[in-house]
Amino acid sequence: MWKTVVRRFLVMIPQLFVLSLLIFIMAKFMPGDPFTGLITPETDPARVEQLRQAAGFYDPWYIQYINWMGNAFQGDFGRSYTFNQPVSTLIGARALNTFWLSLVSVGLLYLLAIPLGVLAGRYQDTILDKSIVFYSFIVYAIPTFVLGLISVFFFGYELGWFPTSGTVSIGADPGTFGYVLSKIYHLLLPAMVFAVLGTTGVIQYLRTEIIDSKTMDYVRTARAKGIPNNKVYSRHIFRNSLLPIAAFLGFTITNLLGGSIFIETIFGYQGMGQLFVQAINGRDYSVITTLVLLFGFLTLLGSLLSDIIMSIVDPRIRID
Amino acid sequence: MNKKLLAILALLVAFMLFLAACNNEEEATPSEEPGTSEEGTEEGTEEGAESTEDLFPTVLENEGDAIEGGTLKVALVNDSPFQGIFSYTLYEDAYDADILSWSSNSLFKTDGDFLLTNDGIASIEVDGDNNKATITINQDTLWSDGEPLKAEDIVQPYLIIGHPDYAGVRYDADFQNIVGAVEYNAGEADTISGITIVDEKTVEIQFNKVSPAIYSGGDGLWTYAEPSHIVGDIPVAELLESEAVRVNPVTLGAFKFDRIVPGESVSFVRNENYWAGEAKLDGVVIQTVPSASAAKAMETGEYDLAMSFPTSAYENVKDLENITLLGREELYYSYLGFKLGKFNYDTNLVETDIEGSKMGDIELRKAMGYALDIEQVSEVFYFGLRERANSLIPPVFASFHDPSLEGYVYDPEMANQILDDAGYEDVDGDGLREDPNGEKLEIMLAAMSGDETQEQVINYYLQNWQEVGLDVQLATGRLIEFNTFYDKVQADDPEIDIFMGAWGTGTNPSPSGLYSETAVYNFSRYTSEELEGLLQAIDSVEALDADFRASKFREWQEYMHEVSAVIPMQFRYELLPINDRVKNYDFSYETDFDLIDIELTADAPVK
Repeated sequence: MWKTVVRRFLVMIPQLFVLSLLIFIMAKFMPGDPFTGLITPETDPARVEQLRQAAGFYDPWYIQYINWMGNAFQGDFGRSYTFNQPVSTLIGARALNTFWLSLVSVGLLYLLAIPLGVLAGRYQDTILDKSIVFYSFIVYAIPTFVLGLISVFFFGYELGWFPTSGTVSIGADPGTFGYVLSKIYHLLLPAMVFAVLGTTGVIQYLRTEIIDSKTMDYVRTARAKGIPNNKVYSRHIFRNSLLPIAAFLGFTITNLLGGSIFIETIFGYQGMGQLFVQAINGRDYSVITTLVLLFGFLTLLGSLLSDIIMSIVDPRIRID
Repeated sequence: MNKKLLAILALLVAFMLFLAACNNEEEATPSEEPGTSEEGTEEGTEEGAESTEDLFPTVLENEGDAIEGGTLKVALVNDSPFQGIFSYTLYEDAYDADILSWSSNSLFKTDGDFLLTNDGIASIEVDGDNNKATITINQDTLWSDGEPLKAEDIVQPYLIIGHPDYAGVRYDADFQNIVGAVEYNAGEADTISGITIVDEKTVEIQFNKVSPAIYSGGDGLWTYAEPSHIVGDIPVAELLESEAVRVNPVTLGAFKFDRIVPGESVSFVRNENYWAGEAKLDGVVIQTVPSASAAKAMETGEYDLAMSFPTSAYENVKDLENITLLGREELYYSYLGFKLGKFNYDTNLVETDIEGSKMGDIELRKAMGYALDIEQVSEVFYFGLRERANSLIPPVFASFHDPSLEGYVYDPEMANQILDDAGYEDVDGDGLREDPNGEKLEIMLAAMSGDETQEQVINYYLQNWQEVGLDVQLATGRLIEFNTFYDKVQADDPEIDIFMGAWGTGTNPSPSGLYSETAVYNFSRYTSEELEGLLQAIDSVEALDADFRASKFREWQEYMHEVSAVIPMQFRYELLPINDRVKNYDFSYETDFDLIDIELTADAPVK
């Protein structure tokens, strides 16, 4: 297996290279540049030209690309023009926020969806099952920003249960326990919205798998051996029904860094999704290319992880 | 079975009711507007303008008893994190400036026209004959860390901006007007030779030329101080990342920085060393708030006041009982520009070509101006928070703006008349006019994309033009994204005949940067000897005389109206919702109000 893993990593290099090249060229095709947005009647066009020259925007694209790539190999991803910060500092701070938010979201998601999916499958066609299915379709139909806004208005502003904006309260001292608590408190509401919205897929997969498994031979065998019904479900059916979810686990893990533009905007939570959109609007080339490369790498890594996970949970699968 | 069915039905009904409730809330607002507006628009704009002024006081009135101290909670409405560059010399983001305004390093106070006065920390004396300005610190002043303010602190910003490692927009033609700035920037000199420290409190600056713009902070003059005892030791290249800028800025303002959560929030405490006295508040906390929930945040008393409040949320806050809406006119105008030439990037000059331009006929341009129902758009789409602009100077500049100018009042008959007289007739009977030679006239408009309102507004304007028989189409077929728009407009894309742009003018009203023959931003590419003469007169040494300058400003506005190369469209208001527990606040530009005067009348914002 390790051979395969190494091989997959090696294949990633040309893939990422092609990706970076494509993204770089396309980013350059976008009209305007980071300085377009800075223009006011008081800005001096000559100075703006000078800054463009200094930034190398007039070099041929391949020169710019080589320069950028060369620096990137040394860990220097350039400066963000719109934030006036090194790209690595900028992304670092956002990535951490997004990572914690997504982690809590995914945790809550499974906590909510797995029991619901199991119950729906086990008590198929009862009122319970129908309610769960009904719920999952409603949730599926609600746009992210609608649920986000409703929950921030209701739980945040009206009831005052949760903070309404930001990732941490200004009064918290970094490094203290209170600071960590404040961070968790700030990400609970967005994480819950995120989790609720994501439940549909997991519920539906689980439900279908469980219903299918019920008629399988191994279940009949287990029952014939006199195993109690509860145990049949928890030991035999449940484990097998988790397979399709495990198949996505790799992607789920690497998606933790993707972020969500809607959630982040509505909750004023600084994360990767928002950063990406902002970078595109501001023509912040260095940020755009770095982020796409990162996302690309994570996707490839996710598919690899998924394969590895599958081979672990399902011994029938060999990835060699 | 029946029970199950009932349960599902009940759920469905509940869900539908819920959806219906959502719908009601969302749709109630827009459908009301056309009704309310149609009554009030025909009467013309003067009345509209007056009523908006009545609607929005600039001064907060609250007679309640103030509590001791307290913390003011400020919402900074912004959908993305602020940059967090807390230095007047280096910041670029408007939101950073909003935050900095609570802790200003400004040396001067300004009057209603944003002209420097001598009532602040320092005073300025301009010697027009010798192109020299002298800045003197009026009294002993301390930085927030207790160090005294000295002449070096006034010079420090120049040493930063002029430095070869400085990579911002402020090292510009204006800055190079300081004698020795170019040599310093080239690394040939260690200091700027034109700037001399006379004594501990006096700095003398030698310019190549001095114009009235210097009183607006132009000509290269810098009106903020930097704490040289701190930033003086930090290499300019490292300044942007330094603690002195991002974590622990030292200031001269009424409040001093306490804590900063990057991109999210800032807390200030009272600055005991503030030159004009100690603030009555204990402190101020500023928090970024997403625009989608800004109105709700004010309604539930989460914050005391909201900076850069979105005017599109006006309908949601205008009837709230726990807040007062303050409003003022912004330094902004939007305009309709006609392409009348090209910019020659080799000679750096505007080359006007009236004959060769599709929009060369002044009658056509005037008719297009009269055909636009901007009054209606301002009322219906912008709730009266915008008004038709009569000139290219925002009325905020009371001494320079010309209120007597009519501008292009909506008058479709006049537009029709002008077009008829000029020979634009519908030859082929398709309801659209052909040009005087009988050829099809299709005018391509470039307009920027924005929110949904923007789309509707542009469609309405297109309809306006169609009503007078003009065939105006969107260049590229749709609204154009901001960056692309300015790229195309600046490059004189042949696809564009006319364009709708806007300027935030800043506090320097001089129109040279936008309309002179050397200005790249003169997007309509119109220039003439008379125009150049007026622009030069406005910024001439004679114009150091305020009356002379004001009269030239008026002449210029009238001239621009006559040639109609650029038609002013809208001025707009900005709003400041403020909670009823706040006492003493003044939103007007011309005021003696100081942040130290703010008080609170309750422990928490009124809900």
